[in-house]
Amino acid sequence: MTASDATQAGAADEIAASATALNRRVAALFGRSLHIRTLDTGSCAACEQEIRLLAAPHYDLQRLGFFFTPAPRHADLLLVTGPMLRAFALAARKTYQAMPEPKLVVATGACALGGVYQPDAFSYGSVDQVLPVDVWIPGCPPSPLALLHGLMVAVDRLAAGVGSMSFSAGGE
Amino acid sequence: MSCLVAFGIAGGLWLAAAIAAIAGSRSRAGLLVCAALSAAGGAATVSGGIATLLAGDTRLISPGGTEVVGSLQLQGSSLAGIFAVLLGIVAVAIGLYIPRYHQKMSGGTAVYLCAYNLALIASLAVLAAGGVVTFLVAWESMALLCYLLILRNPRSRPVAAGAFWFLALSEVGFVLIVAAFAILAVKTQSLQFAVIAARIHRVPADWRDTAYLLALCGFGFKAGLVPLHVWLPAAHPVAPADGSAFLSGLIVKLGVYGIALFAFRLLPDGPAWRGILTMGIGALTAAVGILYALAERDIKRFLAFSTVENIGIIVTAFGAAMTFLAYGQRALWAFLLLAGLYHVLNHGCYKTLLFLEAGVTEHAAGSRDMDRLGGLARRMPRAGVIAFVGTLGIAALPPLNGFVSEWLIFQGLFQGFRTHSHLVGILIVVAAATLGLTGGLAIYAFVRGYGIPYLGMPRTRQAAVATERAQPVTGPALLAVVCVALAVGAPVLLVAMARAVRTVTGIGLRPILLPGELTVIPAHTDFSGFSPTYLTVFLLAVLIVPALIYRAGRIRGQSATVPVWDGGIVAFKPRMQYSAMTFSAPTRVTFAAFYRPAVSLERASDDPAGRSGPVHYETAATPVFERYLYQPVIRAVEWLADLVRPLQSGDVNLYLLYVFVAVLVAYLVAAV
Amino acid sequence: MPQWFLTGLRRGVVTTHYPARREPAADDLPTPPAFRPEQLSQDRALRLAEVCPSAALAIADGDLVFDVGKCTACGRCRQAVPEAVTASGGFELATGRRQDLVKRIPILASTAR
Repeated sequence: MTASDATQAGAADEIAASATALNRRVAALFGRSLHIRTLDTGSCAACEQEIRLLAAPHYDLQRLGFFFTPAPRHADLLLVTGPMLRAFALAARKTYQAMPEPKLVVATGACALGGVYQPDAFSYGSVDQVLPVDVWIPGCPPSPLALLHGLMVAVDRLAAGVGSMSFSAGGE
Repeated sequence: MSCLVAFGIAGGLWLAAAIAAIAGSRSRAGLLVCAALSAAGGAATVSGGIATLLAGDTRLISPGGTEVVGSLQLQGSSLAGIFAVLLGIVAVAIGLYIPRYHQKMSGGTAVYLCAYNLALIASLAVLAAGGVVTFLVAWESMALLCYLLILRNPRSRPVAAGAFWFLALSEVGFVLIVAAFAILAVKTQSLQFAVIAARIHRVPADWRDTAYLLALCGFGFKAGLVPLHVWLPAAHPVAPADGSAFLSGLIVKLGVYGIALFAFRLLPDGPAWRGILTMGIGALTAAVGILYALAERDIKRFLAFSTVENIGIIVTAFGAAMTFLAYGQRALWAFLLLAGLYHVLNHGCYKTLLFLEAGVTEHAAGSRDMDRLGGLARRMPRAGVIAFVGTLGIAALPPLNGFVSEWLIFQGLFQGFRTHSHLVGILIVVAAATLGLTGGLAIYAFVRGYGIPYLGMPRTRQAAVATERAQPVTGPALLAVVCVALAVGAPVLLVAMARAVRTVTGIGLRPILLPGELTVIPAHTDFSGFSPTYLTVFLLAVLIVPALIYRAGRIRGQSATVPVWDGGIVAFKPRMQYSAMTFSAPTRVTFAAFYRPAVSLERASDDPAGRSGPVHYETAATPVFERYLYQPVIRAVEWLADLVRPLQSGDVNLYLLYVFVAVLVAYLVAAV
Repeated sequence: MPQWFLTGLRRGVVTTHYPARREPAADDLPTPPAFRPEQLSQDRALRLAEVCPSAALAIADGDLVFDVGKCTACGRCRQAVPEAVTASGGFELATGRRQDLVKRIPILASTAR
């Protein structure tokens, strides 16, 4: 490694370190109070039912510092469901643009992650074709517990463990 | 004396303008000369009016004769001073407005401008009249000339109807005014106002009350008190914009001047019921006026009803003043007269402004219907700003002049407890509450009146291409500046008006009203006070604070400019906006018992929704006064006329018989 | 209103303590499948890739590629090849890296069933 490479690597490390520090600060802020705006890009509304249950006494996301808001201007996190219909893409982009930085996008449900519907004339197939997604929450629909886990992952309060799950039985 | 000289100069200039209009018919130079002379006359009137305010009543002069009936009797009176100032301001503004509004000088325009300038002279003569005959002659000339003004546009049903309503009600009012003056003149053996006022104790109390009631009704026809107001919405839309501005800005104020003349100068001391009646009529007028205004789509009809509302406010102030006098509160009497006169001036200014802007809008965007306009503030920025100043004024929002004068009136009304009579105190509070309701509805109405045409998206093609090039702007802009000046410089103006009020009432308000340099203390020292000047400064300063905070605290770094959050809509369509009628729908539903809407609904067939073909839905507020008051009276008059018609058979022999019988009867009566 | 209050007093607090404590109700949730590599022959793998309605299963480079994100937990793969499929039991599947949701399970190379 040459000297300039070393310097560049050092600079890259510094940037990475400060980026991580920034992420930590943002996560700390969001962890105390996060406002969520839900966005239905064409789902069957099963995901919406589960999301609604989050506000019910059984799961009560407000005890964790999460709140729902209808206004993207007040939102920190965009919770997107549905396979991103082409007719909705403009509205989705406008909603995303209307959110102030820093902001997160969480795609939830099999449709939003690319399953169920393939890209065709009516839909993009998955949300990340139009919006930059930060966290994916699989499920059809994801239970409120899975949604809670996903939101906590989004604000860095829980670690994402699925990477280390192998989904093969009898072996680890 | 100097004020009458100034008035004389103004009269001469207006006469010259009238001649220029006729002489310069069909030439643009004639139009410009006429307008310039008209404006110059207005300036002269303003100076004369200010001189009157400051100097007090002048001596009566009778140019051209002795005290024979038919000679001219002129006197510059303090009460008329403020009206003269208003006349001058209106004349200047309209004079500046005329060239670009009328564009070409055609035969019709020439006649119109001639009539307009002569009407200005007649109005000035009404204000400067020192005697009954002069007043009546000037009044009637003014009415006839205004009839010609309204008839400017090509003959059509609404134009003819509007002009006729104006003339008919004006004549009925005139009969009552003549009766009122006749009572006073006969009982006091004099035709001069000053002498009548001095000898008023010779008139028995019940004749005085009769004269006052006749005057209230007679002048009420001109001022537009409910239910005598029906000519206003009929005549204002059909006259040209400057004609409507003149009508609303000045002519209805002449009716107010007449009421003030009787209430404060000729018949000041009276029983309390006179004041309470006047106050009640005023409050009712204000409420009815603004409620009808909310049901109107035509901008000019809307403004006409708003005029009715403001006249109601002024007359309420006068009525409350009379009530206070009857209970010995002389300071409050003078104060409410002052507040009412101040409101006269303010309303004249911003109503004229709004009518002139309505004319600009009509020419630029092609329609007076609010539902055919929209987004004009972006297409016509100057007109938008000027109309906004006028709207702020008429909605009585600080810091403009409407706020100051209405605030003064409210402060005066709040002193109702000082009459020490429970019933009267309650009645005054009810009047104040009605004015409060009116004020709230007025803000609502003018949010609609400004927002629907000027803000939002254009609702029609014509509104989308409206342009204010070649539209008049100097006249309205001058009025906007005057409105702001009347607000910021209110203390100065109130000093001048306090002097005028002292001449009329004998009460010096200056020490109570304006103890400090720029602070106004209405009515009583321990009640309230504020400074319009400091308020304006404060509001401007307050606007700076957010700007400073933004500059100091904004994020320095990357920022993105993104479109306004609109719900993700693909494209806005003009039909998604409020329309004039839907915006006022809450009021129309709440007050449905008042509006009595007549709804007609027609379907092409009874198929379920979506397949039944076109549906025709129409709703209109019932014209209560026209239908239940005027039509029966008109039918009764016609019936009576039919009854009497046989007398006019056309047979000469029958007529000779009449003459013979009359002479016989006269001899018999004289012999007995 | 009083009815709710009294019912609440009787029933006590029903809010879950997740994530501070384990939530026993989570054991009944439907979850994506787990595959038994020792039972996963070529035919079975093909059958699984065919039958998934969400295109979560595919074959690539001798592996069964399972995209957990696309799985709807419908159970058709388990119905089609019950020997090779079982429940995974995991519901905490969220992640910030999409590729963490794509799993490769080796297919048996031998031709024998």
